[in-house]
Amino acid sequence: MGRVYLPATLETVFEILSREPSARLFAGGTDLLVRSSAVRRNEGSLVCLERVEGLSGISESDGAVRIGACTTHGELMAGGLITERFPILREAVRHIGAPAVRNMGTIGGNICTASPAGDSLPALYVLDAEVELHSAKGQRRMPLGRFISGPGLTALEPGEVLAAVWIDKDQGFNFHHFEKVGQRKAMAISVASMAFAAHLDGAGSVVRARCALGSVAPKVFTSQALDAFFAGKPLNEETLGAAAALVREGVSPISDVRASEEYRRTVAGNLLMRLEGARAAVR
Amino acid sequence: MKRKITFILNGSEVSIETDPALRAVDVLRQDLGLTGTKEGCGEGECGACSVLVDDTVKLSCLMTAAQLEGKKIVTIEGIARRQELHPVQQSFIEYGAVQCGFCTPGMVIAAVGLLTANPAPTREEVRDAIGGNICRCTGYQKIVDAVEDAARKMREGHSGG
Amino acid sequence: MRKKSALDGPRLDALSKVTGSERYSADYYPEKFLWAGAKRAMIPHARLLAVHTDAAEALPGVFRVLTFRDVAGSNRVGIVRNHQPVLVDAIVRYAGDPVALVLAESKEILSAALDLITVDHEPLPCIFDAEEALKDGAPRVHEDNDGGNLMRAVSLCKGDPDAAFGACDAVAEGVFETSRQEHAYLETEAGWARVDDRGVLTIVASTQSPYRDRREIASALGVGEEKVRVIAPYLGGAFGGKDGITVQCLLGAAALCSGGRPVKMWWDRRESFLAGVKRLPSRMYFRLGAKRDGTFHALSCRLYFDAGAYAGLAGEIMTMAVEHAGSAYRIPNVRIEGYCAYTNNPVGGPFRGFGVPQVTAGMEQAVDTVAEKLSMDPLELRRHNALRQGDRNCLDIELTHSTGFLECIGELLEHPLWKDRQAWKASAPKWKRRGCGIGCMSHAMGYPAAVPDQATARLKLKKDGTFRLYSGVSDMGQGNSSTYARIAAAILDQDAAAIELLQPDTNHDLPSGSSSASRTTYTFGNAVIEAAVVLKETILRCAARSSGYDDIDAVELLPGRVRVKESGRFIPLSDIAGLIDDADRSQKGYFRAPHDDSTLAVLYLGAHVIFSYGAHLARIEVDILTGKIDVVDYVAVTDAGKVMNRCVYDQQVQGSIAQGIGFALMEDYLVREGRQETGDLATYIVPTSVDLPDMISIAVETEEKTGPYGMKGLGEVVISGCLPAIANAFHDACGVRITRSPLTRERVLSALGEREDER
Repeated sequence: MGRVYLPATLETVFEILSREPSARLFAGGTDLLVRSSAVRRNEGSLVCLERVEGLSGISESDGAVRIGACTTHGELMAGGLITERFPILREAVRHIGAPAVRNMGTIGGNICTASPAGDSLPALYVLDAEVELHSAKGQRRMPLGRFISGPGLTALEPGEVLAAVWIDKDQGFNFHHFEKVGQRKAMAISVASMAFAAHLDGAGSVVRARCALGSVAPKVFTSQALDAFFAGKPLNEETLGAAAALVREGVSPISDVRASEEYRRTVAGNLLMRLEGARAAVR
Repeated sequence: MKRKITFILNGSEVSIETDPALRAVDVLRQDLGLTGTKEGCGEGECGACSVLVDDTVKLSCLMTAAQLEGKKIVTIEGIARRQELHPVQQSFIEYGAVQCGFCTPGMVIAAVGLLTANPAPTREEVRDAIGGNICRCTGYQKIVDAVEDAARKMREGHSGG
Repeated sequence: MRKKSALDGPRLDALSKVTGSERYSADYYPEKFLWAGAKRAMIPHARLLAVHTDAAEALPGVFRVLTFRDVAGSNRVGIVRNHQPVLVDAIVRYAGDPVALVLAESKEILSAALDLITVDHEPLPCIFDAEEALKDGAPRVHEDNDGGNLMRAVSLCKGDPDAAFGACDAVAEGVFETSRQEHAYLETEAGWARVDDRGVLTIVASTQSPYRDRREIASALGVGEEKVRVIAPYLGGAFGGKDGITVQCLLGAAALCSGGRPVKMWWDRRESFLAGVKRLPSRMYFRLGAKRDGTFHALSCRLYFDAGAYAGLAGEIMTMAVEHAGSAYRIPNVRIEGYCAYTNNPVGGPFRGFGVPQVTAGMEQAVDTVAEKLSMDPLELRRHNALRQGDRNCLDIELTHSTGFLECIGELLEHPLWKDRQAWKASAPKWKRRGCGIGCMSHAMGYPAAVPDQATARLKLKKDGTFRLYSGVSDMGQGNSSTYARIAAAILDQDAAAIELLQPDTNHDLPSGSSSASRTTYTFGNAVIEAAVVLKETILRCAARSSGYDDIDAVELLPGRVRVKESGRFIPLSDIAGLIDDADRSQKGYFRAPHDDSTLAVLYLGAHVIFSYGAHLARIEVDILTGKIDVVDYVAVTDAGKVMNRCVYDQQVQGSIAQGIGFALMEDYLVREGRQETGDLATYIVPTSVDLPDMISIAVETEEKTGPYGMKGLGEVVISGCLPAIANAFHDACGVRITRSPLTRERVLSALGEREDER
């Protein structure tokens, strides 16, 4: 059978990867170990990142919060900082799988798997998250939106490891909403999801909004035109109906065993309608 | 390519020579003979293989043997203490939460994990906590009843746990 | 029959299950065992030309690779038609057909070896729809089957239905389709086997039918029946899916070629889904006519059931559907036709309900449609037509046994969740629609007349003064064996802990039928009662005589001892055991369920005479943005006779509702061109704890005089009410009917869209 490495430092990870470039990285195992049959576990090595120093935990600096890539969804939910600063992220993560899966799966894993149905991704897009990448050569940062380029495709280079996610502390939103549509209420893979955050003025009109939808395009669907469309408008049926039409035009869903393209497109728009009366929900 | 792996299993240190790429569930069941931990899907979808890893509920079908190293593992066989049932086990019996019983070990582990973190869960929180444990026999209602009762028992200071 | 309270209390199997010490078939890892696994064809229909096993055999750690050439017997299994190959020798008829069997030193090597096996085949034309399969020119699944792909057709006619529809004031018509439901028991098919020094093949397997299995294994593998022993430990769920051969013959074939080493087989979830049987999908044409006052006057149904590739019990399931298509109503003019067809789909088989959930869904939606056309309260309409004791059902069979259907409906009529439904519906939040629906049903207990529904129980007083009860019927999780022990304890006036319970083992020689047909407690329980009564008398007689009395009333049986009434002296049961010869310390009890042979003229296996009944209410909330349906409240009223143990009773009710809600809302095993698309628990969706409501179970306790302690079958009746109750609630909420289940989010949105288009 293949080897399993349990390195304690990133340096060791880099050494392993330079020696065995085909070695596969994993953290919680909720994706890789599902996909890898007994046979494939025989081939090539696995590198488990769960004990690598500096990859876990949530910390804050002056203007931003750093979430280690191996922070589990369960830890994210329990972290007071996330609940306080980024409630939409907590809400999105709460919809992942069920407790045991959340105790294993990590934010870094959710990002690197780059599934169109990744539950944390729309919220991270709305929050303009950045990724911190390390390799033997050094480190770099880039926006999440650039890091993920398609289903299962990322800008991760050979020998490179996702170390953390950065989110600016001051998002300036006073309203947020997340909704996931699956085939059931727990252990559900998203058929469509929407993360929406906005700054609403005293009269309930949108000053600035960010909207991102999951499972309705090869990667998370966002649109500057859509975000701009909300500006200056109240979240009423008229605004939302028009926004829903923009969404339905913009998304490019697929049909699969869970749902058809038409259903995903329809629901993607419908999810916007739930924002009606949002003013009452402003904290 | 066997390797020595040392960890705390149900309160005692164990060292085994095994292939680190094996799944933890296979090591527990086949190498260590602890067949109380069940496998229902092998893909993390059913929760039957749940174990406590450093007091946190995890799925042993999605863990490699290597990841057991240095951890404190509790399986269903280690839930009762000194011949005395854990309140969760006691309540499962009293409330009829057991039918075919194949999901039961995972359910008990999930419930113990919940009550460790949250001694006074609401009914909804109990339902959420076992959301990843598929039961095909009970419809869950008596399991939820049992976990609520166990929480009561534990708050009132029954032993165990 | 005293001490009914002794039947109460927790299940006796719960302790070993909550501690993880109970050993299921999957839990055995015998010394020096080999893993056995099947190579599946993965093609739906083909002529098998060659199986290439060389590469697999060359893999280090592979012990042997077997093909049909290594199977010495008929290489065929099948309860009614013996035509399903253990290992395919000529034709592959569905993707799950096994073509080779590997024995390997580890699970990982087994998996690698299976991947190395290839086949040469010539594709054959396929057929995937039951109704299409019956048309001229359809590709044939079994060349030797008379009548093309028609496996079985059954029809019954009463009165003059053609003329009767003309006399109806309201006629409801509908075409209903139900899904292929997968059992998804937590313990996938598993077992182990070995051949001992005496040449006896012992198979330990997760099976509902050890005695029938023994016969099938012996003939398929060419071994004498006396050389086959089948043991059935507690099952990790079955629901009908383990009523017959799964791993048994493959395990046996492997063990016969393993050089005496034990072999273990444990299907993974994908293989379980691929090769396990499924609830038969149906397409049903219903037509129900009523008079202006609501009296049902005519019913006509045409039912198509998809059997998949092999017969199994599919024809019997379809026949049971025909028997129940008119549900539990008085209808004078009836025509019901049922057709069961072979296709290249997964094999259909028993699943809790045995054909009844399908037809009940059709009938009960037709009933609601009639109510709507007549502007009648749907529950009142049902009450008006409900069968009572002494009435004749759609088969014209008089109901002479307990019949509490009317009382079930009455409970719902008075229930606050029914009475205040309009106010509840009116207060639906934004983007939600609320509805309240009814589903009623009946379900026959036991085997039909032509199949003797009988059981033999054995109860033994051990030398130490405790007892041993030999169960002849598997416990797949429903708790029947715990109930057997409690019955024995109640009659013998013992603590339940004094009764040791042995699970079925063909060496015990107690053929008692399968764990199925809602019969386990009724039939075997009655046999236990007889065994216990006889043993009690044996003990008392011995105790009386040894104390100098002729009359057994001079002594009484107490826990662990006998009391001599006159002297007050106690005699320990261990002393008495020493006074009774071995043969008499062990007593058998036999029971055969009531049957009416005159019904053999109505249906080919005859009909049933004892039924359980139920009436359900579902309150649902529909999210019109996503199509999500939440079942908010659920009430199940059941007449399954007297309640022996309320906890075990409600376990069956709640578990059935859970599977019924799954069937109604999400469960659909999808097959495209014969290949499985929902091959795991991530794609085949079953309800989780947060998808189900707290359920209300109300028992209408009629007394079934032939049943142990007045009970009758409960295992299946409840599931049939769920789909119609929810489908009717959806219609109530949204004014449109979804005739194809499950009612997925997608189908809901699509139905709502079509309704909008019509406006």
